[in-house]
Amino acid sequence: MSGPRSSIKLALASSSASVEAARKQPAIQVANLSIVFETNRGQVIAVDRVSFDVAPGEFVCVVGPSGCGKSTVLNTIAGLEVPFEGDILVEGAPVDGPRADVGMVFQQPHLFPWKSVRRNIAHGPRMLGKSRTEAKAIADDLIAMVGLTRFADAYPNTLSGGMQQRVAIARALANQPRVLLMDEPFGALDAQTRAVMQDNLLALRDRIKATIVFVTHDIDEAIVLADRVLIMSAGPGRILREVAVKLPRPRSSSVMLKPAYLALKKDCLDVIRAEGLRAFNQSDAS
Amino acid sequence: MQEAASARPEIAIRTDGRTRRRDSARHRRLTILVGALSLPLFVGLWELVSRSGAVNMVLFPPPTVVAIAVLEWIRSGQFLGDLAASLFRVATGFIIGGALGILLGILTGQFPVISSLLSPLFHILRPIPPIAFVPIVILWFGLSEAGKLFLVVWGVFFTVWLSTHIGVQKVDRGLIRAALMLGTPRRQMLQEIVLLGALPYIVVGLRTAVSISFYTLVAAELAGAFAGIVYRIEIAQQNLQTGQVMGGLAALGLMSFIADRLFAALAERVVWWR
Repeated sequence: MSGPRSSIKLALASSSASVEAARKQPAIQVANLSIVFETNRGQVIAVDRVSFDVAPGEFVCVVGPSGCGKSTVLNTIAGLEVPFEGDILVEGAPVDGPRADVGMVFQQPHLFPWKSVRRNIAHGPRMLGKSRTEAKAIADDLIAMVGLTRFADAYPNTLSGGMQQRVAIARALANQPRVLLMDEPFGALDAQTRAVMQDNLLALRDRIKATIVFVTHDIDEAIVLADRVLIMSAGPGRILREVAVKLPRPRSSSVMLKPAYLALKKDCLDVIRAEGLRAFNQSDAS
Repeated sequence: MQEAASARPEIAIRTDGRTRRRDSARHRRLTILVGALSLPLFVGLWELVSRSGAVNMVLFPPPTVVAIAVLEWIRSGQFLGDLAASLFRVATGFIIGGALGILLGILTGQFPVISSLLSPLFHILRPIPPIAFVPIVILWFGLSEAGKLFLVVWGVFFTVWLSTHIGVQKVDRGLIRAALMLGTPRRQMLQEIVLLGALPYIVVGLRTAVSISFYTLVAAELAGAFAGIVYRIEIAQQNLQTGQVMGGLAALGLMSFIADRLFAALAERVVWWR
């Protein structure tokens, strides 16, 4: 009974279902999440009682210094990191492993080097039991969406870093995920490519309407992209502040020139500076 | 003064660059010339030394005598039979040993339980030179083909097993995580991601095993055979036909060389994305 219904739900993920679900429950609920790593120097608390909700269709950016556990939080939501303490519900179901309605884009593209662009993107649908022709049709749509039609039959090692990451995004979208997790996907790209990729993602996001959690250490990137920014502190990872970004959509990276943007950035920087100072004084004292 | 200071190094760099370029072109031509002369020079020197009377010509025959011995060997029809026998042993042993090595390498690389069961045993057996098994192989198999195949399989297996095992363990974790997030089931993960991800290592192991299969062949045929390149070398030695001994060595070297080159070309096609 649940089989056909869930597949319908998946198909509608991009349209009215997310609006309807918005009234019922958040897409992601993280409650009192703690993650402790065992190292040979004892236990290290990577993430300390982090709680936040993400509404369906919302675009949330998590910013923080390197080592603050933001990627760990993301991997945990993805079901890649075990064990953890606390509760994580994605689309109402507790996380106990990777699942098809949660897509992920990593800092490195991690494309299958032996597969063409098209077959990389078709991999997910194929694994979910779609026929070769169906998977190819899905892949071709996404290839057009990320503007790589000329490169559909190219292999990853012939593409630039930005193009590879576009393929990785298309590949993650091929299973029509309700939740898309992005772990510093533009972190390895140069500044120009990164700005273009941000604009691409903003345009893409208006079409797919998936819930997105995007991890970055770049405060500008976070404000340009997000509906809401979560600022994290390091050692142990905690959420310092939530900043709602009420900049108009559709948006592009040129929003960075608006006074409203600068005011938001100042708010964020104040929080980060205060925390940096606190951490510095603490390490000085110890 | 400032101008002079900036001009001088520029000139220096330019002259330096030009002379270096001319030097490297001359150097390259010389290298090619010497390379082309290497073998004729060596063979000519060998001919001279052999015929000079300074050495015993029976024990150290000149290249011309070796060539005649080889032609004789081919004309008698024995050469084809010997070549076929040796190639059959190498190829069959390589295929069986390689297949077993890949299979068990994937199992031990992927499943920790199987690895804890088998790896200690394999690590103890692996360093024993395959040639040391000749006596026990004769006890077990006599002079049959099975014993010869056993030696080649033994030599090939451990090399391929180890490189496959390492290859499977070194598959990019990022690829596996990406595949997991795309809903790749266990079986497909093994076939599509792990096996292909480990392929570059497997191919290196197989290429090393090509030369190993040839030297275990030598041990196998010396242990007693009725045909084969190395068998013929041994017979020729007993008859003091040094020319044929040397011809056999050359044939063995050539076989091994061609096999290695063919395999390298094949490997490049199989893991073209590297």
